[in-house]
Amino acid sequence: MTIGRDEVLHVAKLAELAVREEELDRLVDQMNRIVAYVAQLDQVPADRMAAPFLPGPAVVSLRDDTEGAVPLARPPAALAPEFREGFFLVPRHGAMEDT
Amino acid sequence: MNGAVLGGAASIAQETGKRLAAAESLNATLHWSQDLLDAEARRVDAMPSPGPLAGMPLALKDNIVTVEQPTTCGSRILGDYVSPFNATVVERLRSAGGMVAIKANMDEFAMGSSTEHSAFGRVRHPIDPSRVPGGSSGGSAALVAAGVLPAALGSETGGSVRQPASFCGVVGIKPSYGRVSRFGLVAFGSSLDCISVFGRTVKDAGRVLSVISGPDPFDATTVDRPPMRVPEPLSSLRGLTLGLPREYFPSDLHAGVAAALKAMIDRARELGAEIREVSLPHSAYAVPTYYIIAPAEAAANLARYDGVRYGLRLIGPDGDIRSLYRATRGQGFGAEVQRRILVGTYVLSAGYYDAYYRKAQQVRSLIADDFRRTFASGVDLLLTPTTPTPAFRSGEKTADPVAMYLADIFVCPINLAGLPAVSIPAGRSEGLPIGAQLIAPAFEEERLLAAAAALERAIPAEAEVR
Repeated sequence: MTIGRDEVLHVAKLAELAVREEELDRLVDQMNRIVAYVAQLDQVPADRMAAPFLPGPAVVSLRDDTEGAVPLARPPAALAPEFREGFFLVPRHGAMEDT
Repeated sequence: MNGAVLGGAASIAQETGKRLAAAESLNATLHWSQDLLDAEARRVDAMPSPGPLAGMPLALKDNIVTVEQPTTCGSRILGDYVSPFNATVVERLRSAGGMVAIKANMDEFAMGSSTEHSAFGRVRHPIDPSRVPGGSSGGSAALVAAGVLPAALGSETGGSVRQPASFCGVVGIKPSYGRVSRFGLVAFGSSLDCISVFGRTVKDAGRVLSVISGPDPFDATTVDRPPMRVPEPLSSLRGLTLGLPREYFPSDLHAGVAAALKAMIDRARELGAEIREVSLPHSAYAVPTYYIIAPAEAAANLARYDGVRYGLRLIGPDGDIRSLYRATRGQGFGAEVQRRILVGTYVLSAGYYDAYYRKAQQVRSLIADDFRRTFASGVDLLLTPTTPTPAFRSGEKTADPVAMYLADIFVCPINLAGLPAVSIPAGRSEGLPIGAQLIAPAFEEERLLAAAAALERAIPAEAEVR
């Protein structure tokens, strides 16, 4: 499996990452090396396959369905780049360019 | 360094400040101030009954949130973000008398094995500044190794405490998955992440782990077991069976590492342990398995850094919301984080999910089964090298991500299996520390640390091995 420039750009778009043109060839090379390396899992015989491993407690105990009691030292407005009247402000959505 | 020993947290805070200033060239800290150290000392001195950590100064890896200082995760994208709440571990350390006022440098979002991938510059090895301290918790490791602090917190997703502990010649404990609350740990790979502990000694690190362990209503992945107790070191290993997995002792193992492990095995035998060769055949696939699962989980977890609610915001060329996302993430994340997000997005995408992600999850089960079967056969603990080599030179592996990933070959299988493990100093080779790793069945930390303390006392950490 070889990954080309177009595929890296497509994945970057899915990941909402702007990739600089001057970095693209290096990224293509590195992604190919990483994907070729991890593809060695194909050597594990299929008849050895097991159910996926799930870490953590066998049963997750649910707490009461009440609002959390963690007091916040500062409100969202203090963290947000732009905030007004209870809303995070963002630029307009574009012309649905990716849909 | 403890208030009960030296006579007051205030003097410890002053001394800690002097040591931090003297160690500045390591670039191991991102945030600390004498004012906050002094405030912590006043709080501890006013406690009606000193806790088990009374007066102990501690550093946190900068992916553990505190309300007083920024939490950057070593990234530009979080900028000067300051959390509105404290991590559970911070509350527990403070309740036990610990002084929490130092945030340590790290590989960006804990992705790296050398602490060269911090947006705020690389951390230098305390013994040889041309070398790396390991990573991703390299700042915490360097501070403990340099004698600035008796203990510090890091985090592990694939060995990020044991590997730098080995490189720097200190103790690093990774607890069982679910043993320590992750409420307030910035998420990287949620099926793997564990807050973990560095210490100058097994006892210091164990004291800290005992304080932070135990269930937490704010983290549903914590297991309902009481906090770990600090075990007494064993005076004898009689009755204990130590397994040596042959896959962790390859023929091309670094000569100094091999010599240190041979000395450790000899000491264990002298202390009465039965030594048995075992096999963990699927550990050979741990690094490729890890580098599918961890990037996949990272791609999902790091989607939250979008420039909308906190952190860096950059407006892209089109001026709309998608352009904001892409510009913020494209310039806010460094190269290694971008690479892992891309790999994670790729292996989760339609057409590749089964070939990569599902397969990796299945191989992860095989890796965990190997450990389960070995422990069920009568092996109490496993003994391995922590790393295949001592600390490498800065820049040696940065151009080749796969070469960097292989630095974790002996540590990441344990994260995949969710087990507890500890790296202890096993002497030095050409002046550089070597680490030996002990691995235990899940939630057997007390057995693990009791044996580690016995072996720690049997091997002088600074002795040259031959």
